[in-house]
Amino acid sequence: MEAEEEYLEAEENLEAIITRIEHKSRKIETLLKQSKPVDALKTALEGSALKTRDERCKSANWIVVHRAVMAIKDVDGMISSLDPEYYDILMKYLYRGLATGDRPTCDQCLRIHEKLTEKAGLGCILRSLSDTVNTV
Amino acid sequence: MVNFISIDDGRAVGQEVHDPHPHRNQLANPSNPCESIPFSLTPTSPLQSTSVPPSSRSPRLNWSEQIDTGSSIYSHVLLSISKDSTMANTIRLYLTCIRNTLEAAMCLQNFPCQEVERHNKPEVELNTSPELIMNPVLICRNEAEKCLIETSINSIRISMKVKQADELENILAKKFLRFLSMRAEAFQVLRRKPVQGYDISFLITNYHCEEMHKHKLIDFIVQFMEDIDKEISELKLSVNTRGRLVATEFLKQFI
Repeated sequence: MEAEEEYLEAEENLEAIITRIEHKSRKIETLLKQSKPVDALKTALEGSALKTRDERCKSANWIVVHRAVMAIKDVDGMISSLDPEYYDILMKYLYRGLATGDRPTCDQCLRIHEKLTEKAGLGCILRSLSDTVNTV
Repeated sequence: MVNFISIDDGRAVGQEVHDPHPHRNQLANPSNPCESIPFSLTPTSPLQSTSVPPSSRSPRLNWSEQIDTGSSIYSHVLLSISKDSTMANTIRLYLTCIRNTLEAAMCLQNFPCQEVERHNKPEVELNTSPELIMNPVLICRNEAEKCLIETSINSIRISMKVKQADELENILAKKFLRFLSMRAEAFQVLRRKPVQGYDISFLITNYHCEEMHKHKLIDFIVQFMEDIDKEISELKLSVNTRGRLVATEFLKQFI
């Protein structure tokens, strides 16, 4: 009985998450048109549903973050203006980007990875490796 | 030959412009270890089968093509320079990323086997208990080159796929890496068989970390990745040279 309730609750949440991601992607498009890539990335990273296990939500969120990451031109400026609480989430998405194998994505992710490691340290990398609860 | 190019790497210009055989030096260019540029300016002979496919040419070549055909060496130099700087940058970033990830991931401690008494096995190879294994990380440089790093509590497995541009490099890489893997005992950290889908694998356990310095192990791995590309380029160069010499000698009798 309890398991069923949890299952239904999770289903509802999935729909809510997907609508939230769509809403986010529209907001990001407008921010990118206004040439605010850093704000776009912040919007993309916040509210990421990390605890969910559903692949669709994760892929949808990844597409949104990918769009924001590829639009970044000034990496140093972006990292200095980003809140430290987003470092871990960004690092997880960077590793996801590096796993794609697509050349421009990998180039951009490698660039940001170097700068982010300098700022956030090796602990950030280790948290992205060892965290199995909040996955991207 | 006069050149008014202002470039970062003056050494490469000196090497290429004054060289009567530019195509030969290209492959041995030390500032570009990872790319064997098969770009030949000499009249094509049946033995020189390699040529740059149009898709991999640098965009700057279009501008240089407008230069008079008499200065083809000039455009060749520009191609090599622009390729040098972007290639060098990407490989530097790729190796930095791998080095940082390894530094973070190589935190190993002794951990006796949980299932069997008095056994001590590298957990990354067994893959049985999820609490002992960390998320595997795949770092791709492009579609051809990638590196998979899997960590566990007492061991780390690093698998690499090296760049193989054409059939010849494919065969050379396979032979060379098989040669190394068969002598894995001497390397200690090398795995006898590469992981499925990769060319070569390393297995580092907590015992290796106790005997050897961690930073030296990481230096070794990164240096290995740099040297592999250089080795394969050299092998390819020697195969092509030898083939050309042999064929020249053989065909002389028909002149």
